[in-house]
Amino acid sequence: MSADIIEGFLCPICMKDLGTVSQLQGHFEEEHSSEDKAVFQQLKGFFDKAKKKILGDRVDEGISPNGEVRTSGDLSIILSGYDPSWWEDQELGASRSHIDTFKAVRDARVDFFVVETNKLLIRLDKLLSPDAPTDPKKRKAFEREVVRWIPDSEVPACLNCGKSFSLFTRRHHCRLCGGIMCDRCSEIMASSYAQKLVNPAHSFSGDGFLKRSNSNTSLNSLMGVDGEAVMRVCRTCRKLLERRDKMTELRNSTPIIVQIYDKMKQCIREAEQIIPEYMPMVDSLSQGETVYNYRQALILRTKLVRLYEAVDQLSKKILVMDLRPDEQCPNPRQVILQKSIRMYASNFMQENMIGLQSLPSEDDYNKLRQARAAEIQRRIAAERRAAMEAQDRERAERERQSREQGTAGGSGQSLSPQEEGVKLGHKRVSSGGERRKFLGGIVGSKSGGKGHARTDSDGTSNSSGGWKPSEDPHRLSRSNNADPMMQQMEIIRGYIKQAKEAHRSDEVTMLEQNLRDLAEEYRRQQQSAKS
Amino acid sequence: MNVILAVKQYISKMIEGCGGGMKVLLMDRETTSIVSMVYAQSEILQKEVYLFERIDTSGRETMKHLNCIVYLRPTRENIDLLAQELRMPKYGLYFIYFSNVISKQDVKILAEADDQEVVREVQEFYGDYIAVNPHVFSLNLVGCCQNLSWSPPVLSRTIQGLTSVLLSLKKCPMIRYQNSSEMARRLADSVRQVIGKEAALFEFRKTDVPPVLLILDRRDDAVTPLLNQWTYQAMVHELLSINNNRINLSNVPGITKDLQEVVLSAEHDEFYSNNMYMNFGEIGSNIKELMEEFQKKSKSHAKVESIADMKAFVETYPQFKKMSGTVSKHVTIVGELSRLVGAHLLLEVSETEQEIACQGDHSALLQRIRALLASDKVRHIDMLRLVMLYALRYESHSNNDLAGLVDALRQRGVSAEHRAMVQSILDYGGKKGRGSDLFGNQDAVAITKRLLKGLKGVENVYTQHKPLLTTLIDNLIKGKLKEASYPYLGTGQLRDRPQDIIVFIIGGCTYEESLAVHTFNKTMPGVRIVLGGTCIHNSKSFLQEVSMAISNQSGATQGNRGMRS
Repeated sequence: MSADIIEGFLCPICMKDLGTVSQLQGHFEEEHSSEDKAVFQQLKGFFDKAKKKILGDRVDEGISPNGEVRTSGDLSIILSGYDPSWWEDQELGASRSHIDTFKAVRDARVDFFVVETNKLLIRLDKLLSPDAPTDPKKRKAFEREVVRWIPDSEVPACLNCGKSFSLFTRRHHCRLCGGIMCDRCSEIMASSYAQKLVNPAHSFSGDGFLKRSNSNTSLNSLMGVDGEAVMRVCRTCRKLLERRDKMTELRNSTPIIVQIYDKMKQCIREAEQIIPEYMPMVDSLSQGETVYNYRQALILRTKLVRLYEAVDQLSKKILVMDLRPDEQCPNPRQVILQKSIRMYASNFMQENMIGLQSLPSEDDYNKLRQARAAEIQRRIAAERRAAMEAQDRERAERERQSREQGTAGGSGQSLSPQEEGVKLGHKRVSSGGERRKFLGGIVGSKSGGKGHARTDSDGTSNSSGGWKPSEDPHRLSRSNNADPMMQQMEIIRGYIKQAKEAHRSDEVTMLEQNLRDLAEEYRRQQQSAKS
Repeated sequence: MNVILAVKQYISKMIEGCGGGMKVLLMDRETTSIVSMVYAQSEILQKEVYLFERIDTSGRETMKHLNCIVYLRPTRENIDLLAQELRMPKYGLYFIYFSNVISKQDVKILAEADDQEVVREVQEFYGDYIAVNPHVFSLNLVGCCQNLSWSPPVLSRTIQGLTSVLLSLKKCPMIRYQNSSEMARRLADSVRQVIGKEAALFEFRKTDVPPVLLILDRRDDAVTPLLNQWTYQAMVHELLSINNNRINLSNVPGITKDLQEVVLSAEHDEFYSNNMYMNFGEIGSNIKELMEEFQKKSKSHAKVESIADMKAFVETYPQFKKMSGTVSKHVTIVGELSRLVGAHLLLEVSETEQEIACQGDHSALLQRIRALLASDKVRHIDMLRLVMLYALRYESHSNNDLAGLVDALRQRGVSAEHRAMVQSILDYGGKKGRGSDLFGNQDAVAITKRLLKGLKGVENVYTQHKPLLTTLIDNLIKGKLKEASYPYLGTGQLRDRPQDIIVFIIGGCTYEESLAVHTFNKTMPGVRIVLGGTCIHNSKSFLQEVSMAISNQSGATQGNRGMRS
């Protein structure tokens, strides 16, 4: 051990600093998985322990009264002073919704805005049309044609500020509603902003309304000071237009942080779908079983690791994101938000990724498989011996009995040696197999019946938990002369197909196990038939 | 009948209703406490709630990419703030929930403010109380009466809190109240009025036996909050004060920075949840076990050393150190408790307190009190409590020497203000104020019981006292609670044995009573009891309650802060 202390996510074998947990785990599995399985198991064990600790110990937090974010406790396990089972489940408490009343009041109000705004937009569209005359005189006539201007004589004072009109305080008309106000109360809208309101595709930046200059000059309704076309409107119209503009903008824009966040959530969702599929595969493969395809598991695993990495990367990206680089101090709440999102992502990864089991390497897997096959062979041999001995004993017994009773018609009632083999063999497998529970149902129903033609559809539906494969319509038409074992296997294959289509991986697992047992049994029968 | 679950389900429902995406939770001061009692930060974080804001914080920043869950009490102030918020929305969409009934007028005000159509939901979710334990709730109101009658704002808050408990548990109860208390009658009446006014809300599936709401007054049992406690939760509250599950340890000598404020939540802390009702002695041995387990675990981690540098890895793993969090928290708390017990002779004090509350030999007790008053180690507050207990117990005893004891207090330097509390407690919880036989002097059965108990000997001298509430609930369950003392409001009576019972104590309940109710819940099959109070008292906050009830100038204060001493 070197005297230097290195910190970080170090690989315990090559001492490389990997930066993140996910990278470390990935690195370890890629580089060293064949080197020392024990080391890795220990590392994994440590991860699990650490995970438990981390999750179990973050207790001290809650929401502090001033709303600050504090660290927090693990709530996946609900503890309380009670045994939760002795008070029955509780339904959600009473509640009452006011959204209908709320909407009724709001809609009445908002409808008015919508109607008014639309009216303004239609007029605006007309005023901005390319056919509109540009000559000032014709223009004015055109404007008055689009909107009826309130006659000057009707309005002695500004409708907004109440100042009386005179030689110095002149009347101005809003080009959109035709109302009258004084110069001070009118708003000057840039025509490019107006274009954008009418046509959202029109690009626009800057202020939609011009700053008021102090000069009391009467603006030409077409040209602003700096040569840009402008339009005079009243304050009410301005508010309505701006409200619409804001809402459209909100609808159409997705901030970058949301885009990244959505991507991250997408990855999390995908990972959550894959995990339940992958877990039983690893278990089975590391037993050396052949139910699942090794390659397929490898592909899933790579997919998962890639998803986790993506979550890690994306959440980090969110963490360091600077939303407004132009400002000196970043928005403190935004920073908290970004940190919380990162915490959410790392919690997710701690929960799922650290517990992610690795596959055995291909070589190891082959070795495991061979070892298992050898084991099975040994078992079969042992069983066959046992079966033969049992048969011999039984035959001797039967012979003795028939001799004693002096009747010869017992063969119809007795089991054929073949059937006896089936029974014993199944019993053995079922007691030794991993999924004894699932098998038990089927083996039980089968070994209970004496006839070969008895199918296991009952047993299957018992353990399928709500999902049940439909009976194969072709099954009955098949020849009764075919080997019943083959028939049986054919049926199960059909079920597996259906289960796969229905994405019932549990059932697929179970059925494949059955199929394999049957195949083994069949092989044994063939062998014993030959011998 | 689990109040924690009830509130928690409301919050979960709110978050679900808001859909996916980033969320912010906008609350007021009280709803912040309500939420923090049932949800831990990390738990709520995993539901994509990333920010927590207070509605009264000005200058919150605009973040349109967040959807906002609003959870507020329907107060005038909150409605105005929310209307303001809606006029200038800072977040994308708003899902608004009120913790109690909101008027049509207020809905209209909000609707008229929502010009930008950001509101998606407006609902009432009745989590308008602090859920402390599954069977205990509080309203965090200290000083609910002034001049021995309701202070109006506190009464209306209490009505809101109590009706929201009923609504969240979906119970429409028969109401019984303590006849000797005008306050209890008034609260009972008000609750019934609310039920009548909101009849549609209180339409629940009828159960065979209707639930019972029993409203009591603290004045009937002023002894319980004065006693020292020896179960973990009660003791921590008595000696260190629990405030919304938080304990301030900053006064503990030599405390480290990260332990200055700790959280004790039975929902999230397994050790606490297993030990909160254990007595001090048992906790000592349990904490030793916890330590040993911890040491064993750290040793098993040390085994990783066999692989080169694994240890370095472990040590640098940032959260690894956190595993000691629980252990150090409880070790610190228990250490501080035993320091206080030793330094202030609390065992001797407590034994005497228990004797005063439970047994009868006046002259022997008087001597013991005098001896304790002479000790330098006993705190002034404990001396005061001893004298107060004496005053209550021997109020009409012929050889009563209260004057002498108060004089002894004066000699010990107890302030005049505190000495005046002895008279206050008599005004508050003395014979005149009581409706029931607190010390069991009148009832022949009770006297025999006490005699028998005396003959049998006492198992634990520090926990002899049983709160009056135990007797009341026991009688209620057996159908023996006297109708004259605890009448039904309105017509109708319960014929069967009650199953669902909600007890509310005006003037606050205690953790000793919480334990009593817990024991009932555990040992009585088919009976479910929830206990609530205007607050949860320790002796300090109770003395504050008493002084506010007797004086007529000071107003109610919110928050269970206790008396500064």
